[in-house]
Amino acid sequence: MSASAENSAAVAPQTAAFGQDAPVRLNVEQASYAYAATGRSAPNFTLGPATFEARQRELVAILGPNASGKSTLLKLLAGIVKPLSGRIEVDGAEVGTLDLRTRAQKIALVQQESEVLFPLRVWEYVLHGRYPYGRRLRFESDEDCLLAGNALAQVGAAELRDRWMDQLSGGEKQRVILARALAQQPSLLLLDEPTQHLDIGGKVELLRRLRRLADESRYTVLVVTHELNLAAEFSDRIVLLHKGKCLRVGAPAEVYDRDLLEEVFEAPLEIEVREGGRPRVILRGNL
Amino acid sequence: MRPLTPKRVFWICSVLVGVLFVMVVVSLRMGAYPISVRDIVMTLFNGALGRRDRIPSDFWLVVFGLRLPRIALGILVGAALATSGAGFQALLRNPLADPYVLGVASGAALGAMLSLMFAPQVPGAIQAAAFVGAAATTGAVYFLGRRGGQLDSATLLLAGIISASFLSAAIMFLGTTLSGRDQRGMAFWIMGDLSSPPSLNLHWLYLVLIVAVGSIYTTSSDLNLILTGEQEARHLGVNVSRVKLVVYIAASLLTGLAVSVAGAIGYVGLIVPHVMRMIFGTDYRLLIPASAIGGAIAIVFADTLARTVVAPTELPVGAMTALAGAPVFIYLMRRSVR
Amino acid sequence: MSLAISREAFLFWCDTEERLFTPWRRLFTLGIASALLLSAAAQASTWRGFPTQAMVPGTATRVVTDEVGRTVSVPAEVRRVVTLAPNLTEIIYALGLEDRLAGDTNYCDTPPAAKAKPHIGSPVSPSLEAIVALHPDLVLATTSINRRQTVDALARLGIAVYTSDPRTVRGILDSIARMADLMGATAQGAALAAQLQARLDALRARIKDRPAVDVLFVVWEDPLVTIGQNTFIADALRWAGARSVIESKQNYPRVSFEEVVRLEPDYIVLTMDHEGAEENAGASLRARPGWSQIRAVEQGHVAVVGSGMDRPSPGLIDGIEQLARELHPDVFAATTAAMSSAAKEFSICVR
Repeated sequence: MSASAENSAAVAPQTAAFGQDAPVRLNVEQASYAYAATGRSAPNFTLGPATFEARQRELVAILGPNASGKSTLLKLLAGIVKPLSGRIEVDGAEVGTLDLRTRAQKIALVQQESEVLFPLRVWEYVLHGRYPYGRRLRFESDEDCLLAGNALAQVGAAELRDRWMDQLSGGEKQRVILARALAQQPSLLLLDEPTQHLDIGGKVELLRRLRRLADESRYTVLVVTHELNLAAEFSDRIVLLHKGKCLRVGAPAEVYDRDLLEEVFEAPLEIEVREGGRPRVILRGNL
Repeated sequence: MRPLTPKRVFWICSVLVGVLFVMVVVSLRMGAYPISVRDIVMTLFNGALGRRDRIPSDFWLVVFGLRLPRIALGILVGAALATSGAGFQALLRNPLADPYVLGVASGAALGAMLSLMFAPQVPGAIQAAAFVGAAATTGAVYFLGRRGGQLDSATLLLAGIISASFLSAAIMFLGTTLSGRDQRGMAFWIMGDLSSPPSLNLHWLYLVLIVAVGSIYTTSSDLNLILTGEQEARHLGVNVSRVKLVVYIAASLLTGLAVSVAGAIGYVGLIVPHVMRMIFGTDYRLLIPASAIGGAIAIVFADTLARTVVAPTELPVGAMTALAGAPVFIYLMRRSVR
Repeated sequence: MSLAISREAFLFWCDTEERLFTPWRRLFTLGIASALLLSAAAQASTWRGFPTQAMVPGTATRVVTDEVGRTVSVPAEVRRVVTLAPNLTEIIYALGLEDRLAGDTNYCDTPPAAKAKPHIGSPVSPSLEAIVALHPDLVLATTSINRRQTVDALARLGIAVYTSDPRTVRGILDSIARMADLMGATAQGAALAAQLQARLDALRARIKDRPAVDVLFVVWEDPLVTIGQNTFIADALRWAGARSVIESKQNYPRVSFEEVVRLEPDYIVLTMDHEGAEENAGASLRARPGWSQIRAVEQGHVAVVGSGMDRPSPGLIDGIEQLARELHPDVFAATTAAMSSAAKEFSICVR
C-alpha cells in the first residue's frame, strides 16, 4: 500500500494517503462456498477459503479469468448466498445475519443491465435507491430527493434527471444505475464486471469516476473484473482468484508476478512497471 | 423532480370518486322504470334515514331493490377485478397479465358450475364454490409456477394458460350434462351477470375487498421496485418472495370474489390498470387505488349500457366490456408509443 | 347550494398543507368514507322482501306450490298478469283472459294481437324494472326458456311468480288448468283442458292400430340438434303416432349425420317459424350436402309443422293433429274436410 502513496500519473488520479487508521469496511475471513448440481452430489465448484479486507476509500479489484469464482465471491459479499465456512463482515456486522433492508443500506450492488418494463423517469429510478430507509410503504421526503439529486451529480448525470429511462444510451444508463446505488448511501459499493460493454474510453471514464467516488466521497468500492491493466491502474488492492482459489491479495505491484499471471491467465505475458510503481501487462512475442 | 405525495394520491382519488359518484347517479337515473333525479335523491335520503313510509313502494323497489344493489355489486366487482389485474401485471412483470390469463377465473367458474349441478338450491353455494375454485386454481398454478423453489414469471404464465385451457374444457364437458334450464342460466352467468345479488351479505364482501386491496396497497412501494427487476429489488431490500405471495393471494382472492358474485367479466383487469397507467403513471402507490376506483367506474358504466342499450332486454355485462374493451385497448396501445 | 359546499370542501382539501395531512386525518377520512359506503350497501342488501304490489292490508292470498316446487303466495284476485314466454301468452289468449295480460315478451307473436302488448324484454333476459313498472299480481314463467335467476330475482322483490315445467302433453294440459285456476278462471281452464284432451283422445282412437312412424325431429339443422326422450316434444310425437329415433337423456342432444343415416327414420320433421317458407323445405333440404344421404329426404318424407309444435301451448295439439295427418294419411283421407278451423293457421308441406 505504501508504494502507491503519491502518484502523479495523468491516467491514474491520486490516491489519498491512507493508513492503517482508515476504518475497515469489509472483512472477509476464510470464507468459502461450494456449488453442487444437486444437493447430494459432490460439489462442482468450490470457492475459497478467501481472506482479505477493504477499508474506506479503497478501490479493490477482484481479478481473475472466467470461471474463477469472481461472481460467486461477489454473491457472498452481497449476502445473496451464505458462506459455508468463515465470516464476511461489513462494518463489523456479519452479512448473513443482516435483514434485507439493513443489508441494502450497507451494500449496494450495481448490475450491468436494468430492464425497465413501464416508462419511468430517471429521477424516479434513482429514488428507488432510497427504499431501504423508512417504512415499507413510503413516500419520499425532501431529504430523499436531495440525496438522489446528489447521487446524480456525483456520477455526472444531473442533466439526465427528467429523461425517460428507455431513451438513455448504454453509458448514460450505467451512470444512472450507479446513481441509484449511491442513493442507497452504502458502506460498500459492489460492481460486477461493469466495463464489459464499454469501449476503451468508456472503461477509463468509469474507472476514473469510481476512483473519484472512493477518494472524494469515501466509498469503498469493489470491482469484479478480468481487465488486468485497468485493475492495476486504478485499484489499491487486488484479490487474485484462480479456479476458486484465492491466490494472492495485495497491491498491484505485489500481485502482478509474471509467472503467476501467466499461469492464471494462460497467456504469454510480460509485466512493465511504469512510473509511479503501477505495473502494466502486455502480451509477449508473436501470437 | 416531483415525487408522489400522499396529498396527490388523495386528490386524484377524490376526483375519481367524484366521477364514480356522477356515474352512480346517472346509472340510478337510467332504466326502464321512469324516475326523476329528484325522486331518486329523495328516496336515497329518506332511505338512509330509515323513513320508508315516506316513499312510494315503487320507488323504493326500483332504487333499493333493483338499481342500487346492482350498482353496489358493480362497484365491488369492478374494483376487485381492476386491482387484481394491476397486481398480476406487477407480479408477472407482464402488461398482458390478467386474472383470466392465469386461469383463476376459470377455476372459479368451474366451482360455480359444480355447485349448480349438485346443490342448486342451497343459498350461497355458488359463491362459496367459486371461491374455492379460484383458491384451488391459485394454489395449483402457484406450485406449478415454481422453478428452483421460487416463483418464476414465465413459468407461472405458462402454468396459468394451461390451467385456463384445462378448466375451460372441463367446464364445456360438464356443461353437456346440465339440464336445458341450467345450461341457459350458466351460459348467461358466464358472460357476466350483475342482476342476481349474492346470498352472502354485501357487508362481508366489501370487507374482503377492502382487506385484499389494502394488503396489495401495502406492497405498492415494493411493487414499484420489483417492476425494475426482481434481483435488483432484492438487492434494494425488498422481500420479493413475500411480496409475491401476498399479492398473488390477494389478487386471487379478489378474482374469486368477483367471479363468484357476477360471473366472468373480462377485460376490466387488463384495461383499467393500463388506462390509469397512461393517465397517472406507473407508480403503484397511486395506481392501486386509481385502478380500484377506475374499475368501479368502468363496470357501473358498462352495466348501465347493458341495461339500456337494447331495452327492455338486458345484455350481460361481460359482453359490454368485451365490445368496448377491445377497441379501447387497441387505440391505447397505439397511442402509447413514446 | 350543495354545489357551493362541495366546491368549498374540495378546495379545502386541495389547499391543505402537508403538515396538516397527518396519518390520523387520512385514516379518519378513510374510515368515514368506508362507513358511509358500507351503510349504503347495507341498506341495499338487507332489504329483502318487498311488499307485493297489490298487497293492501287485508288482501287475501293463496299459497300454492308451483311446478318446480316453489311455494308462491298468489293474491286471491289476479287482475294483472305478465308472461315471460310466448307459450304462456298463447295460453292466456286461449283462456280468453287477454285483457288481464299487462305485458309479455318481445317474441310473443301468437296470436298477432300479443305483439301490441307492452313488452318486458326477451324471455331469457327480461327487464326486471319493466316488469315492476307493470305492477303485476302474477308473473308466469316456464322452465323451457326462462332462467332460474330471473324467477329468483322477481321472488326477491316480492312478486308472485308461478313457474310451469312442461314435460308431457298431459302435463301441459294440467298446467293450463292450474294456471287458469290461479287467475280465477277455473271453469275456462277446465273447459279448455277437457276440449284439448278430447281432441287428443279422438286422435288416439283413430291411429291406435297403426305402428309408430320413426321420425327425426329437427330442432336445429347445423349443428344437427334433436330432442331427447324427456321433453314434451317427444311426448307429443308419441301422441301423433310417431317415435323419435334418437333416445337420449339430454334435452337437446346433438347427433351426427352418420347416426341418423344408420337409424333410417321414415320421416324428417322440421319446424318453421314463419309461413311461406315451407313449400321449398323438402327440396332445399335435398339440395344440402349430407341431408340427401338420408332416405327420408330422398323420398321427400319431410314434414313441416308450424311453430306450435315446439311450444307447450294449445297450439301443440294442432301441431300434433297436423303431424298425425301427415304421417298417417290413409287414416285421415275421409276426414280432410273436418279439419278444425284453428289448424288453418298452420301450414303443411308435403314434399
